[in-house]
Amino acid sequence: MNLSVIQENLARGLSVVSHAVSSRSTLPVLANVLLRTEDAGLKLTATNLEIGITYWVPGKIETDGAITVPARLLTDVVNSLPNERIDLELSGGDRLHLRCGRYETHLRGIDADEFPAIAAAGERPTTRVSQKVLKRALSEIAFAAASDEARPILTGVLTRLEGDRITLAAADNYRIAITTIPGLDAVEETSVVVPARSYAELARVLVDTDDPIEIILSAQKSQVLFHVEGVDLVSRLIEGQFPNYQQVLPTSHATRVELDREDLLKAVRLAAYIASASANIVKLQVAPEGAPQVTVAAAADVGDHQGVVDATVEGDGTTIAFNAKYLGDVLQNVDADRFVIELNGPLSPGVFRPADGRDYTHVVMPVRTAS
Amino acid sequence: MRTSPTILHVDLDAFFAAVEQRDRPELRGRPVIVGGDSRARGVVSTASYEARAFGVHSAMPLRTAAGLCPDGVFLPVDGAKYRRESRRVMEILGRYTPLVEQVSIDEAFLDVAGSEKLFGPPAEIARRLKAEVRDETGLTVSVGAATTKLVAKVASDLRKPDGLVVVAPGTEAAFLAPLAIRRLWGVGEQTRLILAEHGVRTIGDLAALPLDVLVRRLGAHGAALHDRARGIDPSLVTPETAAKSVSHEHTFDVDTADPEVIERTLLALAEGVAARLRAGGVRASTVQVKVRDSAFHTSTRQRTLPEPTDLADPIFRTALDLARPEVRGRRVRLLGVGAHGLGEPAQLDLFGEEDPRRHRAAEAQDAIRRKYGTHALTRARLLGDPLADPGGRDPLQPLEGRRVGRALPAGGPDDRGRAGRPPGAGGRTPAPDDDPPTP
Repeated sequence: MNLSVIQENLARGLSVVSHAVSSRSTLPVLANVLLRTEDAGLKLTATNLEIGITYWVPGKIETDGAITVPARLLTDVVNSLPNERIDLELSGGDRLHLRCGRYETHLRGIDADEFPAIAAAGERPTTRVSQKVLKRALSEIAFAAASDEARPILTGVLTRLEGDRITLAAADNYRIAITTIPGLDAVEETSVVVPARSYAELARVLVDTDDPIEIILSAQKSQVLFHVEGVDLVSRLIEGQFPNYQQVLPTSHATRVELDREDLLKAVRLAAYIASASANIVKLQVAPEGAPQVTVAAAADVGDHQGVVDATVEGDGTTIAFNAKYLGDVLQNVDADRFVIELNGPLSPGVFRPADGRDYTHVVMPVRTAS
Repeated sequence: MRTSPTILHVDLDAFFAAVEQRDRPELRGRPVIVGGDSRARGVVSTASYEARAFGVHSAMPLRTAAGLCPDGVFLPVDGAKYRRESRRVMEILGRYTPLVEQVSIDEAFLDVAGSEKLFGPPAEIARRLKAEVRDETGLTVSVGAATTKLVAKVASDLRKPDGLVVVAPGTEAAFLAPLAIRRLWGVGEQTRLILAEHGVRTIGDLAALPLDVLVRRLGAHGAALHDRARGIDPSLVTPETAAKSVSHEHTFDVDTADPEVIERTLLALAEGVAARLRAGGVRASTVQVKVRDSAFHTSTRQRTLPEPTDLADPIFRTALDLARPEVRGRRVRLLGVGAHGLGEPAQLDLFGEEDPRRHRAAEAQDAIRRKYGTHALTRARLLGDPLADPGGRDPLQPLEGRRVGRALPAGGPDDRGRAGRPPGAGGRTPAPDDDPPTP
């Protein structure tokens, strides 16, 4: 193996694949990044067995070859080198020799054959979707997935392909976020559950362009592969049945509030300073129709707080308590100037949507408090 | 090690009886016994000092007290009044430091380490707060001041009533040495008997006993006693505001072995506990039952629930399950159902298994009882014989103060186990059932 790449390109590639490096694994090779010459370029691959990321660095190949070296070390070294040409060469079979300007580094590696095989793109895509659209959808729903493994299925994002619609849903025990985005190809109905962590990595790779990302489901539906120019991301899928969320979505409401997202987020954050001293609970007091405001209140041993947010209110006044974290999450992550909140009294789920009417629904379960 | 005796233990003197004597001047100077009618079952909650002269003490059956003190004035327990008075006293203590740890309705620890610049040395603070309590409430307190909670507690008990004992730093072990072993926390009847085999009568004797002997005889408890005998106690004054537990108890008029009566009583107690939890807006993660038999042998068992609840049914089912092996073959004198591990207000589940209609039903019950009285609604199963009355302790009254289960006098005056409390036991030190109570 003997090739040359530009420092900037190699550094970018390493920063993308390093997210898939396994920091704590019993397999030492998983802490390494695989470098392999392919298609007149350098292919970088890292995996933690849940996801694998492959990145193509443009380069000038003299001779082909492959090796794995510690990802962290290589990344640190490359990041510190000047933005010039780097010559990479295999030396003595298990060492990677880097030469860049006046710097020379040898890194001891592990044979490339020990690196697990990672699926590659090549098959026909199952469907495609605009990168920009998917990026926003992921940032608006993936945070709602469960972070603990008590119910593994909830650590994933339901991904349902149906005709030219793609529905994404993520939930933990107390909230659910659902959105539907357009796909570019019509497909037969199929559903998979993708780990939320994989989607978080995918969101990093996506850029704000209408260029499509290809989605390829493996034949046995055990893996999904995402491909954009220069990058592949493979993820395992979570087995099991995603809860039937349709039945928990409210179909009517007694109170409808419309307000400014930033205003409400500010009020919730302020109240959360007090709320976090006890159970992190903030109350929304919605004035009845005619008195257009919502009061955000919190009380704890350390003190109490309330703030008023202008709103338009239709229907009954009501008071409902939520965990401040869940309110903050939805208000912070959803891209909308104004929000609609639909309520049905203090013990029924609250529905949050962008006021622009696009297809996004976020349901948060309230907290029962002593009245 | 503290260089100044900044931990104060403040203990109200013969609290319940003192309140009654304050409010009814004709009772002053007479033996007053709070606990209930002299012919009733149940035990003495508090005896005035005049009654103690006759040998009456708390936790003694009322009938025994009546035998010792036939001219005693027997009064029922007026929990609401004592709680109100307790709050007034605790408010006064709070003027001297925010670090007030109320241990029960009538005692508290204070850490005044940060208050010396404002109010003077601990002995001065003790004198001031004693005067303020007397002037504002007409009650007297005894105060112990020391470098540890353990020694402060022993000190406050030494010169009751209206006492003040200050133990200088460095003299703790010498102070404790001549005192009877029973004054030490965690030394109940069983421990005392074991220690007596080694000739231990005073705390000094205990301190002289080698650690390995104590550990061999008493395990980890022995190691703790080894430290305590020297006045060593690392526990801090920790103010807490949330209630720790809710419990209801019932003493039968006639000891019973009837499974049906026992089951129904547990159900009634579970209803009362659940209603109190709902009124307080909390859920419990652990259910405990207490069974005392006709021989006054008490056993408790507890179990953690799969998920916290404030509903009567899961509490009842768990309590019944726990009680069954305990009541078998015994005549039961007292049953108690407790809820511990009280949690924050409930976050409702999105995909929860629990049927929200159960809650709505329970809340409707609560609303009806609030409006029409506690007897407006009763489970069919509880109709008929008067059993433990779930409304008897006003279950709709919100949890207040702290450590409800500990601070409030148990429903029945028969609250021996509850009265026997080691100081500072926020669940850290198990309350030995055989500890002599000291209200």
